[in-house]
Amino acid sequence: MIMKVRFTICDLRFGTVVLFAFCLLLSACIQKKELPLPIFGEREVVGTDTVYHTIADFKFVDQDSAEVTNATFNNKIYVADFFFTSCRTICPIMKTQMLRVYDSIQNDPDILLLSHSIDPEYDTVALLHDFAERLGVKSDKWHFVTGNKEDIYKTAQTSYFATALEDKSEPDGFIHSGAFLLIDKERRIRGKYDGTKEDDVNRLLADLARLKKEYVK
Amino acid sequence: MLSNSKYEIRNLQFAFCFLLFALSSFLSACSTKTESPSNDNSVKFQQYYVKGEQHFLKTCSNCHQKTGKGLGLLYPPLDQSDFVDKNFEQVICLMKNGINGEIIVNGKGFNKAMPAIPSLTDIEVAEIATYIYNSWGRERGIVEVQDATRILLNCDSSLVGH
Repeated sequence: MIMKVRFTICDLRFGTVVLFAFCLLLSACIQKKELPLPIFGEREVVGTDTVYHTIADFKFVDQDSAEVTNATFNNKIYVADFFFTSCRTICPIMKTQMLRVYDSIQNDPDILLLSHSIDPEYDTVALLHDFAERLGVKSDKWHFVTGNKEDIYKTAQTSYFATALEDKSEPDGFIHSGAFLLIDKERRIRGKYDGTKEDDVNRLLADLARLKKEYVK
Repeated sequence: MLSNSKYEIRNLQFAFCFLLFALSSFLSACSTKTESPSNDNSVKFQQYYVKGEQHFLKTCSNCHQKTGKGLGLLYPPLDQSDFVDKNFEQVICLMKNGINGEIIVNGKGFNKAMPAIPSLTDIEVAEIATYIYNSWGRERGIVEVQDATRILLNCDSSLVGH
């Protein structure tokens, strides 16, 4: 009789161990399957399709006087930001951080960088060319663009949801966000990061790898 | 017998923890020692240095970086810079007045205007100078506010930034 009771206790213990192991296995499986990155902006359901917010058509000129449009980023993932070369507040920090991104992706043919000047009258092609050269980056990888001021501000606000305004009361004359935006191959915003914070840029680097995986079939 | 060996294990654990603690406190003592910048341990020097570091982080490190290493050929380094080493008075001036035109740092040309910061007071300039000239291997000692004032009154206006 006593023996029998002992057996059942043993069985119970064995059962919990098995259950625990099973749970562990299950959680390992779940962790492996990453969730896709979020898609930013408003969405519309048309019939059975969901239409997401996308970056509208644009046309700017980069540091080599080359035209930069949506087509430049055809079938590419890219990171966008807004800055100006004479800015001494957050831009130098942003550029330090973007340079980290550049260093990690410079040999990756799938990823490009796009920096818009929000002071396009001062930031001429020649000035941007000098800036990129002094930073030591290649123009086919990291485009610094200038163009019509109104177009750039409109692109910033309506396409990228980034703040970019002229304000003479600010120390440098402009208000702008230090955001880095992650854009996928379908021109959708997949991430927003504070380009002045190292931690947040680490998150961007991790998300870039995640987004790339989404295209591996 | 059994209880004896248990005691031994406990003793071992204790000794190990103690050793680890001793080692870490020794290490931390070492690291604070290397941070101390100059032979000057006076309260006034320490005050200038600490305040200088605060101003540096607020007004200089955006471009020149917290490490003083600069960025590419855009922003020249302050750490390991022959320009900073050789041009003490000019560095004092350009902190407040900015600088335009090309300067050569470690044999490389830098040619982006550094903006003036007119709001910097003489004492703040002295504190930043104390920080820069006692960091990254430099040991100039304190830069007195009287020196900063004298130098700032005699700056070469042709180099001024916008």
